[in-house]
Amino acid sequence: MILDKAADFDVRKYLRLEMMPHFLCPGCGHGIALRALLWALDELDQDKDKLAVVSGIGCAGRLSAYIDANTFHVTHGRALAYASGLALARADLRVVVISGDGDCLAIGGNHLIHACRRNLNLTCLMLNNEVYGMTGGQVSPTTSAAMLTTTTPLGNSEPSFDACALAAAAGAGFVGREVTYHLPKLKELIKAGLEHPGFAFIEVLSDCTEIFGRKNELGSSAEMIMRQTSDLRPSAYRDTVEAPFRPNELATGVLARNDRPEYGTAYRNAARAIKAAAERRGGK
Amino acid sequence: MSGPKTSRSSLEGEKNRPAAAAAAAREPMNVLIVGVGGQGVIMVSKALAWLAQSKGFEVKQSEVHGMAKRGGSVFSHVRFGAQVFSPTIPQGEADILVALEWAEGLRWLPYLKAESGIFICDTKRIVPPFACLNRRPGAPLRYSRETPAEVKAHVAEGYAVDATAMAERLGNERAANVVLIGALSSALEFSAAEWEKAISAFVPKKTVAVNLEAFRLGRAWIDEARTESPQAEASPEPRLPGAEAPVQVRLEITRAWCKSCDICVKVCPERCLRLDAERIAELTDPAKCTGCRLCEFLCPDFAIRVHREASPERDGARA
Repeated sequence: MILDKAADFDVRKYLRLEMMPHFLCPGCGHGIALRALLWALDELDQDKDKLAVVSGIGCAGRLSAYIDANTFHVTHGRALAYASGLALARADLRVVVISGDGDCLAIGGNHLIHACRRNLNLTCLMLNNEVYGMTGGQVSPTTSAAMLTTTTPLGNSEPSFDACALAAAAGAGFVGREVTYHLPKLKELIKAGLEHPGFAFIEVLSDCTEIFGRKNELGSSAEMIMRQTSDLRPSAYRDTVEAPFRPNELATGVLARNDRPEYGTAYRNAARAIKAAAERRGGK
Repeated sequence: MSGPKTSRSSLEGEKNRPAAAAAAAREPMNVLIVGVGGQGVIMVSKALAWLAQSKGFEVKQSEVHGMAKRGGSVFSHVRFGAQVFSPTIPQGEADILVALEWAEGLRWLPYLKAESGIFICDTKRIVPPFACLNRRPGAPLRYSRETPAEVKAHVAEGYAVDATAMAERLGNERAANVVLIGALSSALEFSAAEWEKAISAFVPKKTVAVNLEAFRLGRAWIDEARTESPQAEASPEPRLPGAEAPVQVRLEITRAWCKSCDICVKVCPERCLRLDAERIAELTDPAKCTGCRLCEFLCPDFAIRVHREASPERDGARA
């Protein structure tokens, strides 16, 4: 039973207590997503010294600062680039990237598709709150149609990105999506992503209550979090990305999975083969 | 829920209405069959109605069966005699009450004739969801507490038979209703051979053998019970998963971390949280808290931690 498993998990074990309380606004869904990640790591018995969390800029990017592990808070959009280098150099580490929707899809969009293409052993958590919260509420690539932001005062007229379809098309080994409201399911999804040998892209549908919610009159944080499930496709856990993005209906769960070779292993094997060949030549 | 259905056998009865004086002698036999959806209440009543009809009686049968697939209450009235008017049995007029589930049997007891009614009941217990209203771990069930002996003292003739266990021993739990047909059969004047024919007609072909065996078992059981009047054992109290160990729930709230976002207050299914004067989450009624952890899960600030500890004593007062 899920509830009994929860009894053994104390989130404080993975938090930098001196940094708490965190800087997120009241009711921000990112805190719940952080709990899901830490819970998944706890269930995998993750050694904190063997965990590296890399994050970019933004509200989501700030989360790495609260995790008691090896953390890197890097430049805007480049979290995946730093993480790729880290994962290649230190195969013994479990590397997790926490990124926001703007960080991951706009500024770091190129890094995302190439990380998917390489299929490096990384887990990328994209916390999607549909807005640039930290800089004052500008439109982001995932802002839903007609939503108000500080840069779309008449309503957003741009089409939005389906990040999961993008990642799957770019070749990510594991693609999934879940809402923060379903915390145990989100934890299971992140756990499956962490265990996947290859690039795992997980989109977490979070809420920006203070900026996006207020601007669009979406109600209190409690109302926003309870509304998350209303747009979900009833048959969750479908193995498909051919699904319309918000606001109609939303596919959640594991959306794509493939077993392409992991880049780091393939690269090291190739390097070893070349080295061995060179030694044979030199030995003669 | 579908409405009551009636089926009538003889149209001739309609034509020759008997004189009022003769009607008293031709009082129809009233058999009420009740149980939980899926147990085979309708099958029992159909077999009985078919048998009565084949013996030339006028039969009326009405039932409510819409709850069948939801484990809900199902009942069927069977009336047969020289002439039957109303399709339903009035309260206090049933000659025989056959119950396939213990609490359903108790529910329908007022329909039984006070001075001569026969009560045949399976001691099988199916706990309905509303008997689990108290969601606290370890809370007692609100299932009827009457023992078979207590109930038998209140009816003219009562039999508590563990038909489900008997059917299980035969290898098919679902034949419990036929065990009860066996028990019912000795109270009516149809012969065993006729009953077996009726049962064979209504059960699936593959299960005819086990059902006939169940019928004989039920019939033998009640014949024995009539002569010895033994005290049938009640089946043990049903247990719910996780209900064994009563636990006490304690909420640890880190005041410095709470940002008054109100999520915990709004998502709490028991409505036992609120924001205090300083707008910090607090537990208002610890007795209500079931320790479901929803507030802990959805607190973005990690300010709530739910501790479920072994309770020093069983919380029986809240039953």
